[in-house]
Amino acid sequence: MMFRFEVNPSLCTGCRTCELACAFTHTKNQKPGRSRIYPIGYAKDEYVPVTCLQCDEAACIKSCMFDALRRNEETGAIELNLERCVKCEACVAACPFGCALIDNVHEEIVKCDLCGGSPACAQFCPTKALEYKKIA
Amino acid sequence: MRIESIDQLNQWREKCRTEFEAQKRRILICLGTACRANGAIEVYEEFKKVLAEKNINDVSVEAVTKTGCHGYCALGPLVILEPEGTFYTKVKKINIPEIVEKTIENGEIIQRLLYKDANTKKRVADYNEIPFYARQQRIALRNAGNIDPNQIEHYIAVGGYQGMAKALTQMKPQEVIDEVSKSGLRGRGGGGFPTGRKWATCAKVESDIHYVICNGDEGDPGAFMDRTLMGSDPHSVLEGMIICAHAVGSIKGYIYVREEYPLAVINLKKAIEDAREFGLLGDNILGSDLCFDIQVNRGGGAFVCGESSALMKSVAGEIGEPRAKYIHSVVQGLYNKPTVLNNVESFATVPMIIEKGADWFTSFGTPKSPGTKVFSLAGKIMNSGLVEVPMGITLREIIFDIGGGIPNKRKFKAVQTGGPSGGCLPAEKLDLPCDFDSLTAAGSMMGSGGMVIMDDRTCMVEIARYFLGFLVMESCGKCVPCREGLYQLYQLCTKICEGKGTEEDLELMEKLSKTIEIGSLCGLGKSGPNPFVSTLLYFRDEYLAHIRDKKCPGGVCRNLITFTINDDCTGCLACIKACPTEAITGEKKKKHILDQELCTQCGSCYAVCKFDAIDIT
Amino acid sequence: MLLAVIRREGVDVPALCEHEAIEPCGSCRLCMVEITKKEWDGWKNHVTSCLYPVEDGLIVSTHTDQVMEIRKTILDLYMARCPGSEVIQKMAEEYGIYKTSYITVPDADNCIMCYACTRICEVLGKSAIAAVERGHRKVIAPPFGDVPPDCIGCLSCAHICPTDVIKWNDEDGTRTIWKKNFELITCKECGKNIISREFADYIIEKREVPAEYFETCDDCKRAEVARKMGSLVTRAKEVSL
Repeated sequence: MMFRFEVNPSLCTGCRTCELACAFTHTKNQKPGRSRIYPIGYAKDEYVPVTCLQCDEAACIKSCMFDALRRNEETGAIELNLERCVKCEACVAACPFGCALIDNVHEEIVKCDLCGGSPACAQFCPTKALEYKKIA
Repeated sequence: MRIESIDQLNQWREKCRTEFEAQKRRILICLGTACRANGAIEVYEEFKKVLAEKNINDVSVEAVTKTGCHGYCALGPLVILEPEGTFYTKVKKINIPEIVEKTIENGEIIQRLLYKDANTKKRVADYNEIPFYARQQRIALRNAGNIDPNQIEHYIAVGGYQGMAKALTQMKPQEVIDEVSKSGLRGRGGGGFPTGRKWATCAKVESDIHYVICNGDEGDPGAFMDRTLMGSDPHSVLEGMIICAHAVGSIKGYIYVREEYPLAVINLKKAIEDAREFGLLGDNILGSDLCFDIQVNRGGGAFVCGESSALMKSVAGEIGEPRAKYIHSVVQGLYNKPTVLNNVESFATVPMIIEKGADWFTSFGTPKSPGTKVFSLAGKIMNSGLVEVPMGITLREIIFDIGGGIPNKRKFKAVQTGGPSGGCLPAEKLDLPCDFDSLTAAGSMMGSGGMVIMDDRTCMVEIARYFLGFLVMESCGKCVPCREGLYQLYQLCTKICEGKGTEEDLELMEKLSKTIEIGSLCGLGKSGPNPFVSTLLYFRDEYLAHIRDKKCPGGVCRNLITFTINDDCTGCLACIKACPTEAITGEKKKKHILDQELCTQCGSCYAVCKFDAIDIT
Repeated sequence: MLLAVIRREGVDVPALCEHEAIEPCGSCRLCMVEITKKEWDGWKNHVTSCLYPVEDGLIVSTHTDQVMEIRKTILDLYMARCPGSEVIQKMAEEYGIYKTSYITVPDADNCIMCYACTRICEVLGKSAIAAVERGHRKVIAPPFGDVPPDCIGCLSCAHICPTDVIKWNDEDGTRTIWKKNFELITCKECGKNIISREFADYIIEKREVPAEYFETCDDCKRAEVARKMGSLVTRAKEVSL
């Protein structure tokens, strides 16, 4: 069974609820993590939520010299093993969509892990601009 | 010429033996490292020159044979005249014409060049009657000093490669392993691990390749057994390795020799070339299925590279640092392949075990440590040199009967066995039998067989400090207990030697030693605190004298001693001339006066005084 | 290895030289534990758990008196060697050590010689730095103490260092580490520094990642994604109108 984000930018109001949901889902040591998703404005009052696309041929996996990024075959997410990560920022530089990020609070690299199968961002999106849907 | 079968080998042996024995008169000149340093090469050249000029019947220039080390290094350069076995010591170039004229031409023995027994004051002509040799039982050193290490024909003539031939043609690999196991041979490098068991484990591991390595990285201060063996009888080491290769199914062997042993490297390389030429190394040795070749690897002189896993890393071209051996190197050794690593002496012994049988070998030594062991005697001992004795012989026999005791009528204080990681044993332990288990039980170890003898003018704290200093320098630095722990132990020891130590320091040192012993990664680290631990065990009072009384009973630690001139002073002025700080004043034939303010405790006066008039307290 | 199992079970065993991205080497000795087995008849051994293979029937004690004593002594030694390291100080304080019992090492730096830096460089495939000299004089250094020819300025060594000894500096588009200067790629849109040119080239060559991925920073790349998606939406709206 495959799931995929469905984005409908015309519904996005730029309310940034997805950001909050992501940050709090990734709370560590009582501090929210850096959000892995951002609604970005492309015109006046027009937004589109941008997050990791879990590319099939992912540049982040390729660029990691230490094998810290691996695909979770169950969820399809490319997950970062922080125990193996050296913070060399190769993935940050390599991702063509700019979706591997540096979390300065926790001093680590972060990227979308699909919250283990049910992304909080999609759950909390009030306008359904972002949905996580089963596809045929 | 390639030897293709055992018959060809035997024919060749006959030929070599005939040629070897044709030389009735043989002039053996020891060209071991110590004799070389004393001018043996000059002696050798001079002999050839004089003989060539004289042109004596039956004694050609070929009679002059340069041999490897004969063991009695204290008396070098050594010259032995066969067939009588006349043993000349401290031979100089100027003695040669006289030796040729008197002894070789007229059979007259030159008394003053003979060995003089210190006790009986008698001169001894035949070296077999000299106590140093009479008490020895030479198995590993069987050919050392008797043959030219660079001539494979000599080795063949005295029965070399016979053990290998027997193993390859008459014995299955398992039978070789069984024989070695039965002989009870234990690793001569120090560990004392049963060689047969090591081979058996390695042979059982399935792999595309097995390696055989000979450990010639002898690094203990005062130890030179392996150097001598490799330099004087390199073929015996090769033969042992070939037998091992047959037993474990190896095709590639390495000999790891330290760069500081140039003679051993040269002789080994020559031996390997010769063995290859005659087909004793290479493909299908003696027509058997065994294909085996050996390569010499030179070590850069790191003490730690004598540790098996560090040695293998070094052979593989990596930094010579040990790894944790939770998986043994017989299973995963060089290049992660099963590897047998044995010491030079172990390999040199193996051919004799195969040739003469395990029962013959076990007739020497003790039940748990069969056979013989080569010891090197160094330090404050009359006969410094190399001896091979049956296991189980007491320290007293080695040091006093064979070694001739302590020079200058001083008293024996301690003997260090097993190198820096071994321990110092006091006079009470002199009747301890020298075998693996007894030495370990006494808080020391067999080690590779180095013995450093110390007299009563030795400070045991200073000795511990010296060897700790050595280990601090030689620690590889990979793990903390060894790198930092030994450094701190050394610092604390220095503090005690300077008279600044406290009893709390001693406690801290004991605690630290325990952690280093348990916590270190390799054997070097684990045994690193031994110089301290073993001296503390037997000489605690000496440590306490340094700490409580601020005195050095050995009269060595400069901060804790005072020099005084006693009434034996004859007023000879020698000390006045020797004193670098002009602390001694006086007139001829009057007792000299030493100014304590100016004295730096350098000991120069003590060294030059012929009348024991300097007291050190 | 044993350490992973111990940690999985939630037992806290300290370690400084251990990192998942590199092979264990057992140099810090802090993860030492006591092991035994029923059939060993009471015989015990002390091993570094980062290197010891997991075996059936192994009985592991992580906090015996002896083990704690070893850890304390080692931390005490570290305090003498690295008097300025906060990481070491914090760890030692947990074991009740506030001041070293030993002589502070002269010219002490905070390097604990754990080889994490050299090991990570090896994994990267460069081995630009190595341990040189022996024993107490040992230091981590580039070949011949010179500018390391193989270094690509990725900072992996500096990031992995448990005591933060390896210093680097990014200034005016230039990165300096091991006395070697590297050109930093600057984002062609906003001018932000990305990674060193040599590191990017290495990834491009080794892992066949398109070079143009490295031209812009992550922020500008996300903005670009938004722009592209937005233009699709705009066009769709125009079409429907």
